[in-house]
Amino acid sequence: MNRQQPGSQNSSSAPSGSFLPPPKQDMEYLYCGVKNEIKAREPIRCRECGHRIMYKKRTKRSAPDCCL
Amino acid sequence: MPDGGSSSRRVPTFNTLAREDSFKNPPADGATYKILNEFVAPHIESFNALFDDSGLPSGDGDGRGLLSLGLQDIGERVVFDGRGVDSESWGNRMRIWIEQVTIARPMVPDRDRTARERRVFPAEARERLTSYRGRMSIKLCWTDPSGQKHEMPKDCGLVPIMVRSVRCNLRGMSAAELVQRHEEPEEFGGYFLINGNERLIRYLILPRRNHVISLIRPSFSNRGPSYTQYGVQIRCVRPDQTSVTNTLHYLDNGSAMLRFTWRKQEYVLPIMLVLKALVGASDKEIFEGVMMQDYDNTFLTDRVELLLRSFKMYTMRTGEQCLEYLGDKFRVVLGLPEDWTNAAVGAWLIKKLVLVHVDSPRDKFRMLLFMLRKLYTLVSGECCSDNPDSPQHQEVLLPGSLYGMIIKERMEEILNGIRATVNMDVRNGAHVDFHDKKYFAKVLTKVNFDVGAKLSNFLATGNLVSPTGLDLQQASGFTIVAEKLNWHRYISHFRCIHRGAFFAELKTTTVRKLLPEAWGFLCPVHTPDGTPCGLLNHLSRTCRIVTAPLTVAHIPTLLAAHGMTQAFAPSIDGRKNMCIQLDGRVVGWARPAVAAQLATNLRIWKTEGKYEVPLDLEIGFVPESQGGQYPGLYLFASRSRMMRPVKYLLNGRDDQVGSFEQVYMNIACQPEEIEDGVTHVEHDPTNFLSILANMTPFSDFNQSPRNIYQCQMGKQTMGTPSTAIQHRTDNKLYRLQTGQTPIVRPKLHNTYGMDAYPNGTNAVVAVISYTGYDMEDAMILNKSAHERGFTYGTVYKSQIIDLKDVRGASKNATTPSLHFGLGNDIKLTGENPHACKETVDLDGLPFPGARVNPGDPLAAYIDDTTGRTKFVKYKGDEMAYVDQVRLLGSDAGDSELQKIHITLRIPRAPVIGDKFSSRHGQKGVCSQKWPAIDMPFSESGMQPDVIINPHAFPSRMTIGMLVESMAGKSGAMHGLAQDATPFKFSEEDTAIDYFGKQLLASGYNYYGNEPMYSGITGQEFAADIYLGVVYYQRLRHMVLDKFQVRTTGPVDPVTRQPVKGRKRAGGIRFGEMERDALIAHGTSFLLQDRLMNCSDYSTAWVCRTCGSLISLGYEDVSLGEMVSGPGKTLKPTGPGGEYCRVCRAAADEEEERERQILATGQQFQRVHGDVTVAISSEHVLNSASKGGDLDVVAIPYVFRYLCAELASMGINVSLAVR
Repeated sequence: MNRQQPGSQNSSSAPSGSFLPPPKQDMEYLYCGVKNEIKAREPIRCRECGHRIMYKKRTKRSAPDCCL
Repeated sequence: MPDGGSSSRRVPTFNTLAREDSFKNPPADGATYKILNEFVAPHIESFNALFDDSGLPSGDGDGRGLLSLGLQDIGERVVFDGRGVDSESWGNRMRIWIEQVTIARPMVPDRDRTARERRVFPAEARERLTSYRGRMSIKLCWTDPSGQKHEMPKDCGLVPIMVRSVRCNLRGMSAAELVQRHEEPEEFGGYFLINGNERLIRYLILPRRNHVISLIRPSFSNRGPSYTQYGVQIRCVRPDQTSVTNTLHYLDNGSAMLRFTWRKQEYVLPIMLVLKALVGASDKEIFEGVMMQDYDNTFLTDRVELLLRSFKMYTMRTGEQCLEYLGDKFRVVLGLPEDWTNAAVGAWLIKKLVLVHVDSPRDKFRMLLFMLRKLYTLVSGECCSDNPDSPQHQEVLLPGSLYGMIIKERMEEILNGIRATVNMDVRNGAHVDFHDKKYFAKVLTKVNFDVGAKLSNFLATGNLVSPTGLDLQQASGFTIVAEKLNWHRYISHFRCIHRGAFFAELKTTTVRKLLPEAWGFLCPVHTPDGTPCGLLNHLSRTCRIVTAPLTVAHIPTLLAAHGMTQAFAPSIDGRKNMCIQLDGRVVGWARPAVAAQLATNLRIWKTEGKYEVPLDLEIGFVPESQGGQYPGLYLFASRSRMMRPVKYLLNGRDDQVGSFEQVYMNIACQPEEIEDGVTHVEHDPTNFLSILANMTPFSDFNQSPRNIYQCQMGKQTMGTPSTAIQHRTDNKLYRLQTGQTPIVRPKLHNTYGMDAYPNGTNAVVAVISYTGYDMEDAMILNKSAHERGFTYGTVYKSQIIDLKDVRGASKNATTPSLHFGLGNDIKLTGENPHACKETVDLDGLPFPGARVNPGDPLAAYIDDTTGRTKFVKYKGDEMAYVDQVRLLGSDAGDSELQKIHITLRIPRAPVIGDKFSSRHGQKGVCSQKWPAIDMPFSESGMQPDVIINPHAFPSRMTIGMLVESMAGKSGAMHGLAQDATPFKFSEEDTAIDYFGKQLLASGYNYYGNEPMYSGITGQEFAADIYLGVVYYQRLRHMVLDKFQVRTTGPVDPVTRQPVKGRKRAGGIRFGEMERDALIAHGTSFLLQDRLMNCSDYSTAWVCRTCGSLISLGYEDVSLGEMVSGPGKTLKPTGPGGEYCRVCRAAADEEEERERQILATGQQFQRVHGDVTVAISSEHVLNSASKGGDLDVVAIPYVFRYLCAELASMGINVSLAVR
């Protein structure tokens, strides 16, 4: 994610030590069944039709270690 | 089963497959249930009537909408620049007017270039929590000093649009298309979308327009000297549906005063002044007009003479003089062009405020004479007063009409604003140049053109902000939210009709009375009990409201051709003729027999469509009577009237009957009742009930209050609120997971498509007193039935997270400082990952399907300024699942994610304490979930799902429920949907027999009872048990939302007593009466526990000597030695160094005095303090300890607080410690 953009001078909270930056992953959202990839801080708009509402996809990506 | 062998295929009665098919393939050419579009028609058509292109029949008009008519009525405003050549002239003249107003359909703003679909649909407004609005613009015109016309389009903001109206993008869509647009297949519209809420303008009852009613009101005599209680009133409505009420007051001296309202201010004029001003009538003309040859009537002659004589003091003889007088007096308030003559101003006043429903002064004159005659008749007692609470004299304020009135008034205010701005500039000596377009543009910037915002505010709050008051009696409460709690409640909103907020405050109950005149128009059953009872009614099922203008211009000629004397005919005998009026205009006179014949003719013509007499014409023939209603033939063709279909017996045709004429009709409820003199017959005896009241099965068997209760409870049921539940953003939505179609239902259940929205479950019900857990309306649920999903429900709640409103958000809309997401400061991997990873995704939004407990993080956002991640927590107090996460974009789709909408799903299985009810007002609370093995069982092995107590029936007399039980049982056995329409059975053909025989056929007892066996002992009960199938509703009142329990918890900071309110974990008030009860029972320990230990228990030091609670002082104790006081002498204190400051001060003073006596030898008079202290004798003895003797006592904290407060006012409280 493009969170370390110029302009936001948040070097103090730069990754230090062991923990990793979050995986660079674009989120997928749905509108009318069409998958939309919207990067963080991009406008909310369907790539296909320009619609202005997105639904978050139901996913199993969460917490892989706790799932049975 | 007995019917199993029948070879012929039976017609399906539940239509399950047909319904499934209509859900899978909604019709592409219209609606599934057309009737659902019909019952909201008044909402939509009245809104459509605003526009020229509405598609409504034009009637007598030119097809122009209410907005255009309103513009015409507003006219123009005139300003002068005050730069005249001499001081006499006003200077250059500028006329300003609005020529055209347009409202567009809701569209995507032009800024958005990517959207392929330019239309905005209601579902988007609902989901994005915005308003469904279209752009309004006006064409503003003005003239420059040379008379040249200029025009300028002006934007008036976004105006909320009624869903499915002519300006809605869903207009004319079929069910299939509606489903595609995320709507219900049966979406019927009629509401507005404001911030994602569905709001609608409620019908309001108004006095019938253009009809003179006589009133006797004692309050009239308080209006001033010589005013009496008599008056006649007429609410006159202009073509644009705005109205002015004119009242004629009778004075002691025989004359009358005309009252009207202009900008919320009341004015009265002598009626003679108005009569003369209208047509310049001579005294003789007025005398003859009122007398109408009834010279023998001395009552009348006396009064008319007085009327004429009393006007002599005004010394005005001609009409012109009267107009000038009026203009002179009213010039200041009316704000008309300064260059108008007084006569012109007077004429304008008469035109715009007196009997505005008719145009010509002659018609107004005739109507005023009629009003005068009616007034004198009322005073003489020859006719009675009309009841304004009766639907006979009422009509409906339609949503569209009100909306149009507000728009008209806003446009008027725009013009007034421009005029005021220019006048201000002139007065202030600013540069005013009418030749300069720039100057005019500058003026316009100072005027508020945003009509849309005003309308949005009106719809969102229901508050009417209006300088004129719009001739309405209330200023708030016009709009309501259409709650989608369940389908019944939702559709009821569109049929409800309110009497007016003003009447809710009245102490008398007369306005709430159910009147026979309301039959067929307002449902007698469907009204809430409690405060709004009788004020909030619902329209009967078949009641229509006329929304289209009718073609009636030819009616007067038609009547004249059939024997009516024309209105202009000279010398009509008022004793022998009755007045014929059409929409409040005197069109002629006729003898009673002729008038009766005309009324019959008109009715035949209108039902048969002859002579183009419209069917919706109301023919109110009031026959002559001794002291009854004032006779006449009153025809109504205007809008907003309530009408209902019945059959006309004379020719067997359909007739539409209005609420005025119905009083004089003779309508049989059933064909069997027809006898001589009956004019009409109902199409269906159930037509007088509202839709909801019609849904109660066998309601004719029930005691009537039970049907009222069912109408209430049907609206509180957990049912199916919507079929498009995935696209709803309601704050709270209740859903019954296992809804069923009722086995026993009235025919109309199918007509209204209720099966698409099931509201309950068919339950096997045993009426037995079995465990004792069914006392007092409690009911026992079969635990196995519960485990199989009986009345299993879900609650959907919304949580909206708008980063704009979060603390720390930047005011700058384009570059927000908060963003959804997880920052680098949140560790998701490693040995100790952050707890939020269970519920929050990397994008900072919750996982759909995640389970959240109270306090769990729902969303995360990063603050750019601090670089930290913050969490939004789940605030509910129950476990919930994240059902859906909506990412809401901006209007133009050009801004990043700032707002999300989370639907949370809370499962709600029925638990002990939840409320259930049958459809007969029989509600009960689940008291036990009884194990199936211990439930009683019948010979066929059936176990009841529900056990209710037999005591529920005798006092409530809900026989309908007993019949339903039988019908349900036989219906279940035979696979029949039983028709439960009321009034189908009779004494000869009883319901018991009909269903009893069906039960016999399926092998059951004729009476519906059967032997049952105890589930515990297995023994047969001594009595046969009434066992059947009843449709049960689960009500939304659930213990989980209501329980309130605490021992200790949050306390009020001041009193340290428990706080109020369930939400704050507060306590339930244990009041004085409860306290009395406990005292009476002698349960002192309980009292101590409730009122002390669990409330504001505290300990305090009290001085045994002086009894003070507030005088605790502490000695400085250092190294075991006490050092204090100015003398550094040891003073007596308690073991902790505590002492009483009051007593010590007194002791010090005493010491000082003694020392002085010693020193001077003088005996001082002992100074007495004005404070008397109640000290028990033993403590006085103990005064040796000069610093008090303190003790710890347990007292309520508020008492200490009270002592402190009293001390601050100089009142001492002294406790006696024993």
